[in-house]
Amino acid sequence: MSWKRVTAFFCLFPSMAGVSAWGRQSHATIIYDDRASEIRSVNEEAGRLWITTDDLKRATGFELKPQGICRDELCFPVPKSRQQEFRHESAGKIWLNLVAFANLVQQPIAHDESLSIWYFGLRADQRQVLSSLKAPDFTLPDMSGKTHSLSDFRGRKVLLVTWASW
Amino acid sequence: MDLPGWQAIYERLKDKNFEIVSVAQDTNGVKDAGPWITAARPTYTALIDEKHLVSKLYNMVNVPTGAWIDEHGKIVRPNEVAFVDDRFKNFSGLDSAPYLNALTDWVEKGDKSSYVMSEDRLREKLTVNNSDIALAAAEFGLGEHLYKSGHLTEAIPHFKEAQRLNPKSWNYKRQAYALSDAKRDYGTTFMDEVQKAGGSRVYYSPPDLRPEVTQKDKKP
Repeated sequence: MSWKRVTAFFCLFPSMAGVSAWGRQSHATIIYDDRASEIRSVNEEAGRLWITTDDLKRATGFELKPQGICRDELCFPVPKSRQQEFRHESAGKIWLNLVAFANLVQQPIAHDESLSIWYFGLRADQRQVLSSLKAPDFTLPDMSGKTHSLSDFRGRKVLLVTWASW
Repeated sequence: MDLPGWQAIYERLKDKNFEIVSVAQDTNGVKDAGPWITAARPTYTALIDEKHLVSKLYNMVNVPTGAWIDEHGKIVRPNEVAFVDDRFKNFSGLDSAPYLNALTDWVEKGDKSSYVMSEDRLREKLTVNNSDIALAAAEFGLGEHLYKSGHLTEAIPHFKEAQRLNPKSWNYKRQAYALSDAKRDYGTTFMDEVQKAGGSRVYYSPPDLRPEVTQKDKKP
């Protein structure tokens, strides 16, 4: 069944319109790579979070390309038979289901329903760095706000050590 | 705090192609960690990690945790407790000297140090980042975001879920307790949890400082 027909079907039965995401757009906060973005218009329905490709780019850096969902060198092909789970056209825009994408790349999601906040964790490819015995790289600020990356110290031995004030 | 102790070690070893990268696992960032750093005035690299990113990437579950990384960016000793002095010896029963001696040995001898672990042993010791651990980190991250945006009440269930999904993480417990009233919001305290886990003497596993047996040392 095409998406157009699904939409038309639900328009004929207004009481069921709430079941369909389309036409019931709401606000959400998406936290991706520990960065929060306010998204003015998302479609949430059972187990799905649809955002426009513009918002996808803004919140996650990923783009929908013919070869898959991509960011720089990183590209995750969308299984051909499952296009409908991932991609939808409505109101002249292309929408992507961020939950389906997260499942594809084995990315955990924490969700606060009452405030409509979605937190996307580390993808499997980010988590598997450890098993290669390569030290995962990171970039963090010092007291003055200047950032440092672990990889800045390549060529030296490094003791990486955590502490906390608590 | 550990910062002045690491400064003394750094002074001794910094000319041997060695850097200390210390990372504060503090949700409130500079506000909580800053005064300690200001007081210690470290000349090594002291970073602020509000999102506990390093614990997340390296699967660290407690502080202080150390990992050794060689010149090529490869881990040669994975996560283990890294005491810089004996302030907590009464609590943990652990001496800092064996670890610090091992660290010095590595800085001086590099790959030839017997404290550099074989890949097999490293793999054995690295915690597998399974889906529960990954989801726990996401729940904790959401809890932190809620707390910081003024929604402590909403944050608590997510902190609790992180603690449930990764019960080995003391960071998830202690950081969450520090952000609220532990007794009121979690029905427990840090010391109650330590007792439940078997007491302070098992709270930290001692570092495994058995020297690596090299091929030529092995008996035929």
